[in-house]
Formats: sequence, C-alpha cells, structure tokens
Amino acid sequence: MPGSEKSGPERVLCSHCLQETSRASSIIVEINGESKAFCCKGCLGVYELIHSNSLDAFYNQRCDWQPGPPAIEVKLQASAFSDTVTITGNEHRIELLLSGIRCASCVWLIEKFLMKIDGLLLVRVNYATHKATITWSGEKVSLETILHAIRSIGYLPHRCHSIGTADLFVQEKQDLLLRFGTAGFFSMQLMLFTTALYAGFFEGIEDRYRLAFQLISWALATPVLFYSGYPFLSSALRSLRRMTLNMDVLVALGSMSAYCYSIAMIFYGGEMFFDTASMIITFILLGRFLEAGSRLKAGNSIAELIELQPHDALLVSESGVTTMVPVAAVQNGEMIEIIPGDRIPLDGRVVDGEAEVNEAMLTGESNPVVKKPGSDVFAGSFSMNGRLRIRVTGNTGNTLLAQIIRTVEDAQARKAPIQGIADKTAGYFVPATIVLALATFLFWKLSSASTVTALMNAVSVLVIACPCALGLATPLAILVGTTTAGKRGILVKGGDIFETVSKITTVLLDKTGTITTGKPSMTNLLDYDLSPSFMQHVASLESASEHPTGRSLVAAWQGERLTVTQFRATTGRGVSGVMEGNLWRAGSRAFIEESGVQIESEQHSHIATLEAEGKTVVIVACGDRLAGVIGMIDDLRPDALPLIAELRKKGLALMMLTGDNRGVATYIAARCGITDVQSCLGPLEKAAMIRALKEKGECVMMVGDGINDAPALTEADIGITLGHASGIALESASVAILKDDLMLINTLIKSSSRCFSIIRQNLVWAFSYNLIALPLAMSGVLHPIISAMLMVVSSLVVVSNSLRLKKI
Amino acid sequence: MSTIFYLIGIGLFVGVAAWFLFIWAVKSGQFDDPEAPKYRMLDDDDEPTKPAKNKRP
Repeated sequence: MPGSEKSGPERVLCSHCLQETSRASSIIVEINGESKAFCCKGCLGVYELIHSNSLDAFYNQRCDWQPGPPAIEVKLQASAFSDTVTITGNEHRIELLLSGIRCASCVWLIEKFLMKIDGLLLVRVNYATHKATITWSGEKVSLETILHAIRSIGYLPHRCHSIGTADLFVQEKQDLLLRFGTAGFFSMQLMLFTTALYAGFFEGIEDRYRLAFQLISWALATPVLFYSGYPFLSSALRSLRRMTLNMDVLVALGSMSAYCYSIAMIFYGGEMFFDTASMIITFILLGRFLEAGSRLKAGNSIAELIELQPHDALLVSESGVTTMVPVAAVQNGEMIEIIPGDRIPLDGRVVDGEAEVNEAMLTGESNPVVKKPGSDVFAGSFSMNGRLRIRVTGNTGNTLLAQIIRTVEDAQARKAPIQGIADKTAGYFVPATIVLALATFLFWKLSSASTVTALMNAVSVLVIACPCALGLATPLAILVGTTTAGKRGILVKGGDIFETVSKITTVLLDKTGTITTGKPSMTNLLDYDLSPSFMQHVASLESASEHPTGRSLVAAWQGERLTVTQFRATTGRGVSGVMEGNLWRAGSRAFIEESGVQIESEQHSHIATLEAEGKTVVIVACGDRLAGVIGMIDDLRPDALPLIAELRKKGLALMMLTGDNRGVATYIAARCGITDVQSCLGPLEKAAMIRALKEKGECVMMVGDGINDAPALTEADIGITLGHASGIALESASVAILKDDLMLINTLIKSSSRCFSIIRQNLVWAFSYNLIALPLAMSGVLHPIISAMLMVVSSLVVVSNSLRLKKI
Repeated sequence: MSTIFYLIGIGLFVGVAAWFLFIWAVKSGQFDDPEAPKYRMLDDDDEPTKPAKNKRP
C-alpha cells in the first residue's frame, strides 16, 4: 500500500508510519512522480533514506498495517552504550534491544539497511527477542554511526542488559547439549570397537587387535567420563566433602567403578566395560538435557515477565523535550512518553493521548484495552497504536509487574509439604543404596561368581537406584501447574497452595465486588408525575456528581442533558440544582426531609418496601413536591451464579460475609442461594469468623478484594483476590486472580486437584519403580546399561506426566 | 592386514571431524534461536531492485 493513503477528504495516512494526520498539517512530497504524504519531517527522512537505498520493498512486504511509531527525535549517545561493546582485535560486537520491531519485514529492513554501511561485518536481528547482534570493524565505522543508522530508519536501540535468568537457562542448556553431544559421538565410536571385542570374545580374536581395540576404547571412554561426566563427578565430590550424599554420587560411583575396573583388565587380560561406563553417562545426560528443556519452557514464565520490564524510558521535561533515560532515574510524578509498539516502563496514569494497550501478559486478557487520559496503565503492557503520555506513579520496585515477579519467584521457592517426604527419603536413599551395592558385590563374589558378574550387578544397583524421578516428581509438577495457571491470569503464590486448595471444605465469599458487581444499578423507578423527562432531569442533575450511585443514574439516561445551574452537592447525602427554572433535589431520605419536602404515607410505604429489599433509595424532589423514588441495587455479577453452582456441585460449604446491613445481605444471599450469611462484619470480625471455622476443623477459602478483606485473606487457609485488587489485598492473598472473572476460581480448584493427583501419581511411580527394579538389579538380571536406560525412562515418565498439566 | 588400522584411523577421523562440526555448531549459536530462520527464509531472497546510487527524488 505505498502512496498517499486517503481516509476521508481531509485525513491522510503517513506513507511511512501509517498514522493518520490532517492533510493541512502533512508534508506532501513528489517521489517518482507519485505524491506521498508524511506526518512529520522524521517520517519523510526515513522514507527518503529507505527509498534512496532501494529498500522500498519494505513498504510492500510489511504485513502489519497497524500504524507504527512515527520517527520521533530522540538524542542518542554512543557513550551510554560503549560499555556493552566487546572488542576482539579489530572486531567490535554489541547486542542491542530494538524497539519498534513489529513484523518480520522490520527485521529484513534493519539487516539490509545496516549491511549497506561500509565496515559492518554481521547484523543479525532475533525476531523473537528483538535483540540485534551487530559486529563491525572498529577502524571503518563508529558505534555512533550505527546507532544513528538504526535510529534513522525509525527504530530505537536500547542497552541490552546483563545476563538475565533466561540467558542463564539457555547457557545451561547449551552446556548440557555440548556435553551430551560429545558423549553421544564418543559412545557411538566406542560401541563399534566394543562390538568387535564382544564378537572376538565368542569367535576368538588375535591378541594384537584385541589390545589395540581395548586401548582405543580406553581413549574414547576417557573424554566421556571426564568431560561429559564432569558435572556428576564434581557434584559427587562436593557432596562427599560435605558428607551429604546426593544422587550424583551413585552415578559417579557406578561409572567410575566400571571405568577403573576396565583399565585394570587391559593389563590383566580380562573383559572390559568402557561401554558401560560411558553409556551410563550418556543416558543420564540425555535425561538431564530433556529435563532442562522442559524446565526452560516452564521457567520461561519468570524470564518472560522480567523481559517485559523495559530498561529505558522517554522522559518528557517541563519544556516538552523528550530524552531517553534509564528507568531507575524516573521519579514519581514525572511524565514519560510511550511510543506505539513500545512496552510501558512504569505504572502511571495517562495524561495525554489515547491508545489500545495490550495487557495480556499481566491479566491473561487477550483483547486490548483502550486507555484514555485518566486511565491507569501498568508497566509491562504495551501500547499497540497511538502515543501516550503518562504521569508516573511509584518506581520500578513497586510496579504491578515487579510485585507479580516477586510473587512468582517466592512461589517457586516455597515447597509443598508432600515434597518433604521425597527429600527426606532421598537423604536415606543414597547411603542405603551404597550399602546394598556393596552387599550385592560381596554376595555374588562369595557365592563363587566371577568378579566381573559381581561388579556388574553392584554397578547395576548403583545406577538403577538413582532417585532422579523421585526428586523430580513434585517440583516439576508444581512448576508446570503454576505456569499454566499463570497463563490464564491466576497467580498462585506457592507450591503448597495447590495441595491446600485441593483440601478445602468451606468457601467464604465477600459480597461487594465478589458476588455483586460493586456498581449499583437502577431497579425500581416510581415516577409520581409520570413525566417522560423525569430520568432526563435526574441524569442531568447527577451528571456533576462524583458518587457511584449518581454515576449509575447518569448512565441510565443516554439522551440529551439539561443545563444545571447553582449545583450543590452534600457529600454522602444528595445533590441539588436548578433546571428549567425549578429547584431539583435528589438524595437520601434524611436529605430530602431536611430540605422541607413533604413525604406522604403512601410514599413512605414504597420507600420502606424498597429498603427491606436491600436497595439503596434515592428520592427526587422538584421544588417542594416529591417527584419520584428510585430504587438501586448493587446487583449480582453474571458469573456469580454459575460459580456458586459449581462450588456446590463439589460439595463445598458456602458462606457469605459482608460489612453491609442485614437487608442487603439477606436479599443478595437469597438471590444466589446462599443460606449462611454473616452481615455487618468489620475487617477483624471477618478474620475472627475464619479463625472460628478453622478451629472447627474446616479448611477455609476466602474470596475478597478490598483492603477491608486483607486480614481475612491472611487468616484463611487460601485467600483469593479478584481483578485489579488493591495492593495490600494482593500481598495478603495466597492466590491472585488478575482477570476479572469469577469462574477462574473454579478453574483454580480443578487444576489444583489435578496437579495434586499428578504429584501423587509421580511419587507412586517413582517409589514403585525403585522397589521393583532394585531387587531385579541385585539378583543380577539387569545389565548396567539396561539399568541406565530404565532410569532415564523412569525420569521421562515423570517429566511427561507432569507436562500433561499444561492442558487443563 | 594392516589395512584395518588404516580403516580404523579413517573411521575415527570422520567421527572426530563430525564432533568438531557439532561443537562449532553449538558454539556459534546454531541451536539458539529456532524461531527466526523460518521467517528469514521468506524475506531474504527477494530484493526487487538493484542498489541505486543515491538517487534523490
């Protein structure tokens, strides 16, 4: 779609960034006989640059027709980046994080454009991470030139910060891959010679060949043991020195005894088992490698969250100049600018601009949310189109994102009680296994079997007993469970929580904001004048009011508003104002009575009925005459009834807690079918109620949102907050549901019982596997290589069983 | 019968060569980013016009 895009007679789309501008303010330029419009000089410059480099294909190829960032002016200083450059000889290398990349053609453009600069050796842009790796010759071109080149085509380079968790994971995986690959290559070669030796054992073999093959095998097995097996050996040594035996001791003992025995046998002319030694290492490394992969996948959730935090912000000074500064330097109350396609670096409130913001990573809600002046934006979400200026609230340490990251990190460090069993068992397991292996060796040796058989059986025992599966059973399932829940916007703050959730017996629900919407709506309208403009008058009068009740009344009338003069609001009671020459009042009964309006007995009974139904009553008077009565109720959330039905189906006891008066409480409770209601409770009384229930042996789950629920949420076995709960509620709850959807509570209960049952399955499998395989190994049925394979299979069963949790 | 030693030598050489190739591949990051190459395939080849020398409109 090149060319000047017309969208209406007076509006044009900028040819570069596709932002809409008015024709009058746009810059129209003739390029190759076509007239093209640009929103600003910056975009024109970028277009000319791309065009003069014959990279126009970018405009045809880009797949994303969303408006992009206009080429805004930002000062870049090479000195800010210079410490991240690595220099080897004349070759300079830097990693940059680029903002503004929106589709694969951006990657194409950046790579092509930069490669035209003389002296650039290599440019690679990683589409998934938006990281660019640039290598250049230090003599021919300066870093500044490169940064300006990137800037000149409309992308913004950021410092790429030191190694994060994700990089560490990747490094670990790469290291394992290298060790495993090495072990694989040498073991393959080794097997070739071992097969020849086995054949020689049965068919006969010339001594010189035998010796040669044995020496080659030795040479091939050595790197497998000491390079590929290094992690096991060093960990075993460390644990021996600390006298706390771990499973690596078993692996190291098993493979080293086979290795040393084989070396001795070269000189004494016996059979050798280098293949056993190296295959044990290879198979176990394979297990570790696959496990690292799935851990990488699960662990990515934190890394992804951390990656969401931008490191720079565009600070807008008083005079309106934007400068790029590190996020940490931005003070509370300062203004920053967010360009389209950029992540928001700090929490704040929009002061200028309008944009659709994607908050999916924070709330799981995939639809973008429209942000206007006055709305709150959160760090880590990103603006999809449109530019925003926000007033920062708080700093990097206390953004919603930072809180979530802390919570998830804490959660993964907390252990489920069931894991304690596994840990304790593993502690006794290793020494017991070593004793068993020794016993096996002695038994076979004494019962006149050859040393070879005795040793092989002992090695088998050592290898098969390695309780890897046992160690993996719980943490992996919890990791996958929390991650999956997190993707749906359920933030579980610890592994133990799944276990507790699957045990709950009573669910306590807070009324306002949990069962009800928290926003009152109109239910009854008694209009004594029967005038069609009654609601119009009420809405117009209330339109200046800040009270939630008033706002709902305003929303009830969509038509034209009347002008109100002499408006006065009495906080918490009512409002008054003059419309069309008459003085109108709207407010509580006391407010109306005080102003001298007569309420007749019939009207009194209407009001009493409404109040008995738990409604908030607004009385409207015109002059000194009563014009009408409006009944309002904070109604049930649409998802409250299905949730309550689901909870009841599970056989859970339900109870409603509220600080409101009895009438409202019983009415709402009856509507949703809860019989057990406690009304007029203060925050501490709610907590006391929960303590009493717990003393009776109930396992209590509390759902609430406000600050007044915080003590109750802490007191309950499981506290759940809903929606954008207040910070303190988020801190005190054990589960935070970030999306405003009650049914996620049901999902949580379902997935925790699933997670818990998978943990149980894993433990049963791991224990019974060892119980069956150990006697087999001791009785000499299993060759050590088979044991190593079985062990890997057992770990893989646990891993894949845990990964089933990904699908709920 | 010393042919067999030559063959063993060649076999080991090929094996070790493959191992070095593997080490190079891992070290140079061939396994790092499984995401981008599939897109790069779509973009890279298609350069519609030859580079022009600063043809300003």
